[in-house]
Amino acid sequence: MDAAEDRNESLRMLRDSAAAIAPRGGDLKRIRDLRFSEPGFDRAVWREICAMGWPGLRLAEDVGGSGLGMREFVALVEELGAGLVPEPLIPVAMAARLLPADHLASVLSGERIVIPAWQERPNSLDAVGGTTLSGGKVTGKKMFVPQAAGADAFLVTVQGGLALVQRDAPGVSLVLEQTQDGGNFGTLSLDGAPAEAIAGDASDALEEAALATSAYLLGAMDRAFAMTLDYMKTRQQFGRTIGSFQALQHRAVDLKIQISLTRASVEAAAATLDSVTVPALRQSAVSRAKARAAEASMLVTKQCIQLSGGIGYTDAYDVGLFLRKAMVLSNLYGSAALHRARYAAVTPEQDDE
Amino acid sequence: MNSPAASARDPQDYNTLDDDTFRITVRRWVEANYPPEIRNPPKRLHWHENKVWFFKLSEKGWLAPSWPREFGGMGLSSSKQLIMIEEFERHGCCRFNDHGVIMVGPLLIQHGTEAQKQHFLPKILSGEYIWCQGYSEPNAGSDLAALRTEAVLDGDHYVINGQKIWTTLAMDANWIFCLVRTDKNAKKQEGISFLLIPMDTPGITVRPIITLDMHDEFCETFFDNVRVPRENLVGQVNKGWTMAKALLGFERIFLGAPKQSQYALARLKQLAERMGVWEDESFQDRYVRLRLDIADLRELHATYVEIVRRGETLGPDVSQLKTWQTELFQRITELSLEIAGENAALLDPMEGNRELHPSGLYLQARPATIYGGSNEIQRNIVAKNVLELPDR
Repeated sequence: MDAAEDRNESLRMLRDSAAAIAPRGGDLKRIRDLRFSEPGFDRAVWREICAMGWPGLRLAEDVGGSGLGMREFVALVEELGAGLVPEPLIPVAMAARLLPADHLASVLSGERIVIPAWQERPNSLDAVGGTTLSGGKVTGKKMFVPQAAGADAFLVTVQGGLALVQRDAPGVSLVLEQTQDGGNFGTLSLDGAPAEAIAGDASDALEEAALATSAYLLGAMDRAFAMTLDYMKTRQQFGRTIGSFQALQHRAVDLKIQISLTRASVEAAAATLDSVTVPALRQSAVSRAKARAAEASMLVTKQCIQLSGGIGYTDAYDVGLFLRKAMVLSNLYGSAALHRARYAAVTPEQDDE
Repeated sequence: MNSPAASARDPQDYNTLDDDTFRITVRRWVEANYPPEIRNPPKRLHWHENKVWFFKLSEKGWLAPSWPREFGGMGLSSSKQLIMIEEFERHGCCRFNDHGVIMVGPLLIQHGTEAQKQHFLPKILSGEYIWCQGYSEPNAGSDLAALRTEAVLDGDHYVINGQKIWTTLAMDANWIFCLVRTDKNAKKQEGISFLLIPMDTPGITVRPIITLDMHDEFCETFFDNVRVPRENLVGQVNKGWTMAKALLGFERIFLGAPKQSQYALARLKQLAERMGVWEDESFQDRYVRLRLDIADLRELHATYVEIVRRGETLGPDVSQLKTWQTELFQRITELSLEIAGENAALLDPMEGNRELHPSGLYLQARPATIYGGSNEIQRNIVAKNVLELPDR
């Protein structure tokens, strides 16, 4: 019991520490100002994040990490989701899981930003694809690289391993597209670009990124819901507070149930990743959490707009920021439908018992 | 009507065992002693069908896991009680007529007089007294505190007049524990008392209610100048409401357990295979949604079990669990009905196989969102006490 209490206490402290970057209930002016800019986040804030040790949270202490588990990482990311923090913690932490020790120092300090580029087609969890590395040159095309505008280098998945490609290397072309949340996706074309071969396989790091994204969505939907409840408690119509109407109360409870299910699912999946090594069980837990978080976040944020009425449709109203974030993240690292199908494929029926 | 068993006290204090050892002990005993013909019954069983299991538990001294040992219970910790429940559910054990053990015993242990404890507790454990619950009335369902069945003091007796409804298995019971109005002028929650009444008292009439699934689980119970000694009152007069509420605390975690939905999903799979739609892509997507809904329910349920395990009190947010589980259960039975084709119309199980009975399961799922506090009431509870939404 004592070990569990210690761990809960350290989770609380970690959540509290997130307030340095994403103050609880704080205003979202910084987030608004960064939207649709390049790179879409603040490099100075990124250095602060690195100073807190977050990109290396999951890494062993002897390589400069904190040696903590997924339970800690999802707790932290949930707080950042509540603040819609745009700095690329999830992709960089994924890259840090894959980089060899001698490359880590500059990434963990924030000096260099390395973003994984693994995806080659929409709606896919194939971590490798057809990109090849041969004779120190990498050729292929990667899509939907998150926050690519801020990358100094890309960790590209290739057949048989990984390749580290500098952004300004010859043969590298990066096309940016803005996303609804104010960030960007990069399409990375590699035509015999010089690269450093890195041994490894991104598939497990991808599981962690998918689960962390679920936690971010959890934090985001929970905050949007809290803002909407505040609105329901103050907005008057027909001489009454709208939150006193039973139809709206019951709808709010249904959203709360979805948030509670997401929390239970995400936290259970984090515990699974911390304790289970069998790949199918890890994938099953992650798919369950991402399927729930993706659908629940879309439902909750969409309903938060509806419950806010006309003001909910304005860009000036903050709840919309959460809907736009859910629109970006719910399908990133696998949509709900993709994760449902994968859950069915990897989870034997008797595990439901 | 009920032959008393030789109820025993199990000499062992199971709290001294570690959880895994205790679980194995329970599992082995259940496997060796549970009557196979009543595993996973599709309906709530009557006393004449379930008493064989009641008496097995009674003879073993395992009937009342939560009662203190001095009263013939097992005195188990919350976590050990949960293990017993999990093992019973895992094996598909039926519910017996358990109101005496779950409701009346704990009530008397906490609020009863010495004489009441000495008289009633052994007879509950032996099966001599079988109980039903007189709470709801035709005009007091969700608004239970509006109940009107009245008990008026006349010398040394209370005289009771009124009507109770949804008295589960009243036809099997020889005692009823009732909430009655003892002060018509007080605020509605403050004029209610708890009375214990023998069912063979003159003036009591029981009429079974046939439910949508053609079962006679519930009854109406009428009281016409029924006289009971005033010492049958439990606790203080006019304090019945508070006592009754305290007894309901645990109910919602059981109504929110994933077992019902898991059972229905297993039947859905069986039916889909039989109907030849199991491989359909569209069916599979709907099926995996339900699987995931259960998987997440299981995790949410586990967080509440953990609260109980730590010995803490469940908050009003547990109403979320009951709401989600019961509606999920219904959704599963609705899909079953949809894929069954014309078989959905059949009154009896398909092909004589009681596991292929989509219309029966569909109807059985209907009351889940009504009993134990309707889901509308559960949502009111969460809205007011968890989300703190205003009244006006």
